[in-house]
Amino acid sequence: MNEGTTLTPAAPRASSYVLQQVVRAFSANATSWVGLVTFLFVVALALLAPLISPYDPLEQDILARLQGPSAAHWFGTDSFGRDILSRLLWGARLSLVISTVSILAAMLIGGIIGIVSGYVGGRFDMVVMQAMDVLLSFPSLIMGLMVVAMLGASMGNLMIAIALTAIAPFARIARAPTILVKERDYIEACRALGYSDLRIMTIHILPNIVAEILVMGSLWLATAIRIEASLSFIGLGVRPPTPTWGGMIREGFENILDSASLSIFPSLAILLVVFSLNMLGDGLRDAIDPKLRGGER
Amino acid sequence: MSAAGPSQGANHAPSGGVGAHSSATAGAPILTVENLVTEFRTGGGWHPAVRNVSFAVQHNETLAIVGESGCGKSVTALSIMGLLPPANGRIAGGHIGFAELDLVTLDEEEMRRIRGDRISMIFQEPMTSLNPVLTVGFQVAEALRYHRDMGRREADAAALELLDQVKIPSARARFADYPHQFSGGMRQRVMIAMALACRPELLLADEPTTALDVTIQAEVLALLAELKTAYGMAMIFITHNLGVVASIADRVAAMYAGEIVETAPVDDLFAHPTHPYTELLLRSIPRVDRDMGGLTTIAGQVPAISAMPWGCRFAPRCPFREPVCTSRDPVLVPLPDAPDHQVRCWLRAPPAEGGHA
Repeated sequence: MNEGTTLTPAAPRASSYVLQQVVRAFSANATSWVGLVTFLFVVALALLAPLISPYDPLEQDILARLQGPSAAHWFGTDSFGRDILSRLLWGARLSLVISTVSILAAMLIGGIIGIVSGYVGGRFDMVVMQAMDVLLSFPSLIMGLMVVAMLGASMGNLMIAIALTAIAPFARIARAPTILVKERDYIEACRALGYSDLRIMTIHILPNIVAEILVMGSLWLATAIRIEASLSFIGLGVRPPTPTWGGMIREGFENILDSASLSIFPSLAILLVVFSLNMLGDGLRDAIDPKLRGGER
Repeated sequence: MSAAGPSQGANHAPSGGVGAHSSATAGAPILTVENLVTEFRTGGGWHPAVRNVSFAVQHNETLAIVGESGCGKSVTALSIMGLLPPANGRIAGGHIGFAELDLVTLDEEEMRRIRGDRISMIFQEPMTSLNPVLTVGFQVAEALRYHRDMGRREADAAALELLDQVKIPSARARFADYPHQFSGGMRQRVMIAMALACRPELLLADEPTTALDVTIQAEVLALLAELKTAYGMAMIFITHNLGVVASIADRVAAMYAGEIVETAPVDDLFAHPTHPYTELLLRSIPRVDRDMGGLTTIAGQVPAISAMPWGCRFAPRCPFREPVCTSRDPVLVPLPDAPDHQVRCWLRAPPAEGGHA
């Protein structure tokens, strides 16, 4: 071989293999594509809200209150005469940001707890997992009530509440495969090469289990949107008049006899997003599990 | 001869960790294991899996450790690497002198710096010893980036060169391939490249060819022998395959039930196996040039570490057993006519009069 010639950048990246697997899993399952496209559509609408929403979501027009769908207001207006479509679009931003940020935080914290706990093992693992079980035993609404009662109702506290409910499941989903992977010969080989525990966990174990965590993430994103809506519905979420989907349902609930569309449209929006994320996650999980397991050997 | 090692090494080698000799001195062994005792916890008590094992390995020398499954060969290797399971394995005594260091006294952090850099290990199972989600090139380069602080580019170039050295065909094209795209033999070559990346002074090969088919075995053995000579490193080759021993080793240590029962230069051992265990082991190799009247086997099996017999540990299975064998522990003594050849047997190598306790 010629020496010193330029090496084509081989991109030996941990993520590329995982990415390949994800793409392959996706192509194998049509429903996950439907879920992904629907979800991305909603995300695009939310991002474009300032450009495409026909009205200011906070602008009141008391003469046009409680109208049904019309050409001027596609989805009708609420009790203050605010345009529901505009509020839905802006509310999507908030609902998506809250759920995404809280789930990312839960994924990160729960993932770290799970990997470290599974890797270290022994008594440490036992204590940590029992703490997780305690966390897991709180229903998300109770957890939300507790956090809000202690810290007050705000967007940040809502995210803390959702993240707290999701940490334990992520810790469990990260721990189980870590325990499997750490017994593999190649981890022993890493020790024989003198790699530090941190390096083994981040470079050698994490890419092996990240797919499972991501699948779990897409499913939990749907749950987070539901929790956010539930907490907003009982008035523990973002303060009015800021639009969120759960808050809109609650406001619509008060006038449900006058105009059902007030609650129906935000409910449909939640349904759409939760459904798309569940399809995405389920399809992904079904497709990726046997592939990842079978493809290794 | 310097290879008279084990007992002689005991005199000047480290008791406090400061060795008198430097690694560069010709003739000074790179590795000196003395009276190593490694214990495992089973059923509440600690039992020695390796007992009073001593040997030395020179630069550019291959020592083969042979024995049945469970005789302590792999445990000896793990003890040297400091990779015993922390919860239920420990080194209970002895010294492992490596160059100027006593590995037994080093802490985990110091050991980590030596592992993969100055001492490397190759494992038995090439199919599962590579991380399936990382490219082959990345895994070879990783050792260099970790131990040598090389940048990505420099390490990749060095890794490519290593893959060429271990004779991976079209290494450049396969650099970004994943392990599942490689055959078993190729994966073992990759493992060798990883282990040799930092040019270790000592390589531990734990049955590296057992999982490969015979033609690939020969290729991998030839490659190991070639690289050992090229790098001038010492190698400990652990195997239960005496055929492999004959082709690669300079010296052989036969282990039984955690003890070395016989050690000799390879030709000497094959010509004059002295310990009954070694003799029976050699006789139980199938040979193409002899009539297959039947294969000799050694009756019984290796005793469990929690139930070691008194006296000579091989005595219960030994056809030549005498009363002395089951009452007192035999010692490893050199044969009168060949000081390099040491045997632990009351009958075949009785200690000199009054020589030993």
